[in-house]
Amino acid sequence: MSDKPVIELRGVQKAFGKNAVLRGLDLSVPAGQTFAFLGRNGAGKSTTIRMLLGLLRPDAGEVRVLGLDPQTHPLEVRRRVGYVAEDQVMFGWMRVGELLSFVAPFYPTWDAAWAKELSDRFELPLKTRVKNLSKGQGVRVALLLALAHRPKLVILDDPTLGLDPIMRKEFLRDLVTHLQDQRVSVFFSSHLLYEIEPVADSVVILDHGRIVRQAATEDLRAAVKRLIAPVESAGILAALPGLLDISRNGRQCTAVVEDITAARPALAAAGISPEELDLNLDEIFEAYVIGRRKEVRDAKSDLERVA
Amino acid sequence: MFIRISSSSGIPITRQIADQIRSHSASGALTAGDRLPSVRQLARDLAVNPNTILHVYERLTAEGLLERRQGDGTYVAENLSPARAKAQRELLIGEMDRLAHRAADLNVASDEVHKLLDESFARIGKQRATGKKGQTP
Repeated sequence: MSDKPVIELRGVQKAFGKNAVLRGLDLSVPAGQTFAFLGRNGAGKSTTIRMLLGLLRPDAGEVRVLGLDPQTHPLEVRRRVGYVAEDQVMFGWMRVGELLSFVAPFYPTWDAAWAKELSDRFELPLKTRVKNLSKGQGVRVALLLALAHRPKLVILDDPTLGLDPIMRKEFLRDLVTHLQDQRVSVFFSSHLLYEIEPVADSVVILDHGRIVRQAATEDLRAAVKRLIAPVESAGILAALPGLLDISRNGRQCTAVVEDITAARPALAAAGISPEELDLNLDEIFEAYVIGRRKEVRDAKSDLERVA
Repeated sequence: MFIRISSSSGIPITRQIADQIRSHSASGALTAGDRLPSVRQLARDLAVNPNTILHVYERLTAEGLLERRQGDGTYVAENLSPARAKAQRELLIGEMDRLAHRAADLNVASDEVHKLLDESFARIGKQRATGKKGQTP
């Protein structure tokens, strides 16, 4: 387990004009894991990914991909990393077979036999022009191009965008079969959270240019809970540590806490035992980023008056 | 072994899979000595991270429900009865807690819940007797 992290960001900042997109990003992605990188549009996901590939320079901080600085070693990084972009632009006039022969020489580690095996498994029509491929076939070509040089790390930028549900499931199955099975590290950005959950070892939530939570998927699910209590207990819920969200629905008060074990002593001290509900990843994400945290303080005083 | 997972459910995926293996064993769909699909196979079938499946198999092995044989995959444990009884209880206890909470919310007293539960057993008994087995969702 002495593997070095495949991605390391330290204090990374980036602004476009007056618009600060990344405000001090710290992130460490261990080798061999599938990492889900979650955030709303505009949270800074694409900016981060472009930095990992050396396409953007950070204003401050350090970026390391497989131990290399993408700014000083962009080619080396690109050769070792597989990348599938959200709307991959490819050479539409080329036939699929031609495209593969065209791309192969860029990669010293291109494995022709593996590329052939993948194109068979993906049932790719080698004689069809790229522009005439279906969306699903296009994504599979992109995936093949990202895998055939046997990268140690694959970066997927919202790869299932525009795919129908069957194709998305197929894509995830490909991911499980061809990447996770082979212990390739995967950095996967997506906005379809419920889809990510079955494949992600860990989840990182990016909001307004900062990481608000990084945890193993299983731990996150075990820690974040929704509590439901009679409205009389609202004041107690509002004062819980790690409160993410609180609201009142009629006679009940609902709170989301980021770590139930940290909240339990306060609940026990107050002598209440609210019902604890599990949240799915969508709901957890929502609790973190929908911006209610700003309102939590207002709600607190509001609820304290009621209680 | 049929397993179905729902990502939109609030229940974590490891628990969904573990619970379904437990209930397959509780219902007799899986019996002692049955071989489970390999981690890799089940991961592909369900399109779920192999680590997740591994985690579930490890957990159920620790519970005594499954047995991992070196280099030869995962089997339902030969001496199943204690593990099976435990698995059945665990499934029920979760449901009971949920029911108790719901009853407390609705201000229904424990006596009343017991009475309703008896009635529910009577209803289900009748349904099962007429051949319409209660289907588990």
